[in-house]
Amino acid sequence: MAGLVYTLLFLITVAFGLGVLLNRNTVSSAMCLVGVMFCIAVNYLMMRQEFVALIQILVYAGAIMVVFLFVIMMLNLRERETTPWYLRNARFWGGALAIVFFFVLAAGIQIFAVSGGTKATAAKEAAIAARETPEVILLATLMLTEYIAPFLLTSVLLLVAVIGAIVMARRKDEDGNEILIEEEVA
Amino acid sequence: MELTFEANLLLSALLFTIGILGVMWKRNAISLFMSVELMLNAANLAFVAFAYELGLLSGGILVLFIMTVAAAEAGVGLAIFISLFRGKHHIRVDEHDSLHG
Repeated sequence: MAGLVYTLLFLITVAFGLGVLLNRNTVSSAMCLVGVMFCIAVNYLMMRQEFVALIQILVYAGAIMVVFLFVIMMLNLRERETTPWYLRNARFWGGALAIVFFFVLAAGIQIFAVSGGTKATAAKEAAIAARETPEVILLATLMLTEYIAPFLLTSVLLLVAVIGAIVMARRKDEDGNEILIEEEVA
Repeated sequence: MELTFEANLLLSALLFTIGILGVMWKRNAISLFMSVELMLNAANLAFVAFAYELGLLSGGILVLFIMTVAAAEAGVGLAIFISLFRGKHHIRVDEHDSLHG
């Protein structure tokens, strides 16, 4: 039963991923990406990372994809993807290299599987069930002690990103003066 | 197929390859950006698979940091696309070559 559920999840995730790649309409492509993110969140839940699964849905499928859809619809990208002559060869060789890359990865995983590196699922589940404290508390403790320096640096990064986004997207008139929001609306 | 370490790594590798193909084949900057997000997600999946396999929590912490960086990247990147679109009225990446030496 669990095997069937996981097989279905695997196939749905890959199908949504191919949807991102093959859809010609950008909005459908973005919706397929939302599907991939939900499938990955289910995968996290099956691996007992409840907090990360929740944040995956809230931040990725919620916040980041809304910004994507907002920009797609604001720019109204309706033109079809066409290939100019100078990109044909680049596409062929790029695709060939990507497929070689996948087979190298798959061979690595295969070698790992043959050498018998994995633990039994029952043992891992038992270790998780033996935990006294919930996962969120363990994550928070780790983040605010061992990973406190990257955690604080992240806040600086977000501040810089917010200022940078405003500076980039601000509109100017011909003389280089700022257009105030009241003038733009009027 | 059971939920095993290898199956999860294989799923991660497949999604990463689809992301690479998207970066190679698309010209529209937003489609390209979505492929990059797909690759980030594949890497996150591999992190969580390793954390589950080894019984550690650090994988989840790294995933949270990657999500923060991805959010910052999406904000700045999409602002750049908006200002590119204002100038030339398209965002086909191969035709924006004003920084070409």
